[in-house]
Amino acid sequence: MTAPVSNIGNDQTIRLADVRKSYGDYDVLKGIDATVARGEVVVICGPSGSGKSTLIRTVNRLEEINSGSIFFEGQDVHAPMSGRDLNRLRSRIGFVFQSFNLFPHLSAVDNVAMSPIRVKGVPAAEAREKALKLLDRVGLREKAESYPAQLSGGQQQRVAIARALAMEPPVMLFDEPTSALDPEMVGEVLSVMKSLAAEGMTMMCVTHEMGFARDVADRIWFIDGGQIIETATPEDFFKNPKHPRAQRFLADLRH
Amino acid sequence: MIHDMIAIIDEYWLLLLIGQYPNGPLGGLANTLILSALSIVIAFPFAILLAFARLSSYRALRWPVTVLVYVTRGVPLLMLVLWSYFLVPLLTGADVPSFLTMLATLVVYQGAFLSEIIRAGIVALGQGQMDAARALGHSWFGAMRYVILPQALYNMIPSMLSTFVATIKDTTLGYVINVPDLTFAASQVNNQLLTQPFQVFLILALTYYVICWSLTALTNVVERRITRRRAGLGPRRRGEIALPLTPKVTEQL
Ligand SMILES: Nc1ncnc2c1ncn2[C@@H]1O[C@H](COP(=O)(O)OP(=O)(O)OP(=O)(O)O)[C@@H](O)[C@H]1O
Ligand SMILES: [Mg+2]
Repeated sequence: MTAPVSNIGNDQTIRLADVRKSYGDYDVLKGIDATVARGEVVVICGPSGSGKSTLIRTVNRLEEINSGSIFFEGQDVHAPMSGRDLNRLRSRIGFVFQSFNLFPHLSAVDNVAMSPIRVKGVPAAEAREKALKLLDRVGLREKAESYPAQLSGGQQQRVAIARALAMEPPVMLFDEPTSALDPEMVGEVLSVMKSLAAEGMTMMCVTHEMGFARDVADRIWFIDGGQIIETATPEDFFKNPKHPRAQRFLADLRH
Repeated sequence: MIHDMIAIIDEYWLLLLIGQYPNGPLGGLANTLILSALSIVIAFPFAILLAFARLSSYRALRWPVTVLVYVTRGVPLLMLVLWSYFLVPLLTGADVPSFLTMLATLVVYQGAFLSEIIRAGIVALGQGQMDAARALGHSWFGAMRYVILPQALYNMIPSMLSTFVATIKDTTLGYVINVPDLTFAASQVNNQLLTQPFQVFLILALTYYVICWSLTALTNVVERRITRRRAGLGPRRRGEIALPLTPKVTEQL
């Protein structure tokens, strides 16, 4: 079951319409309306517990929602669909986790090559060759045969980005990709993300790296209490945040 | 005493090794090992299925299997053996050979134990591995097959070896339903000699001890090797099953 592809000119890669989600009595997402245009880089920030992870995980349906809808390239992500359709949909949305979640039993190159082989049926030799190219792109060609436990956090996260890219997704989602890293490793991951953005990748990034937001984001969504309470360009957001809670958030970050 | 035992082994080694075979059913030590190995080989995939059912979000699958696992683990093996011995022919009307009865009982019993080990191994990996696999487009079974099980099962190799040791000991209970195994052979020898029960059963005990002890020693070696792997030490070659590690940082929700 595929929803009709009817989105205005199809330049909206992701559209969220009145997305609501609760855990029991607790409302985590209270009506999110937003769009991400093709090639756009959106940075999502907000206080801890505001629902950022939950929001980004609903986009590839790692979390279910209670009401509303989310369209990805015109397809309703949360519509009833077969497992096969959902898997195909997910394979087109790259996701990078805070905790990397590399497969520890596989070498770096196998981490990257495995899903194209098993999910898409790409021949192993071809997938491996492409994986090596991707590792090269994230600066880890020489670590291809290393296992995750032998890599630093920053290296693991770069492999994780390469792994997501291997499925050739038109969109990449990042959930605090640098929060679990030692400070000296944050830069190497951010620079990979910057180069992705420069190549025109559509990106949704939950991050508190305000330098990255300033340099790379097209728009910032400030989320608090399960709602997007401010959407602005980085310039506006940093110079004159409108909402008092956004002002307080920025003041806290500067400390 | 030692002389007696050597004399007994000298005279009855073939009976102890293979039972009445080829004039009767295969028995003795050979049958003990076959019974143990078969029951582990069948119990293992069975246990994986039980673990899947226990982890399932479908109640209709989860509950009956949970009950089965709890009952099986909460009842002495001997009870299960007797139940299957009296109940199975009653229910099926068929005359089931005692070897098969014992095999089925061991499969259920060890399956229940192994399934809990497997389930714990899967849970210990955390949600992050499953999330990562699903986000890449793997199906649930694909994620299990290529991501979760290779790690969980590798971590479990020591537990599985000790379950095998336990199974070898458990096969002795087949004696009560006349499974022609090593214990059965030893008691036949004892019945023929009548005067040397101590010597006969000492031989029996020593045989079990040597087998189980060497397997336990092997388990320890494997366990140490796995611990080393987990610490990121030790050589690794491509294509070899490599070290499993739970992620250092668990996904924060
Ligand atoms: N599985 C769950 N069950 C119940 N409550 C949950 C669950 N997952 C998240 N929550 C709650 O939902 C709220 C939003 O969580 P979420 O992880 O989306 O926040 P976040 O903005 O990503 O926070 P952080 O910056 O700490 O990562 C939190 O209050 C959290 O406690
Ligand atoms: Mg979060």
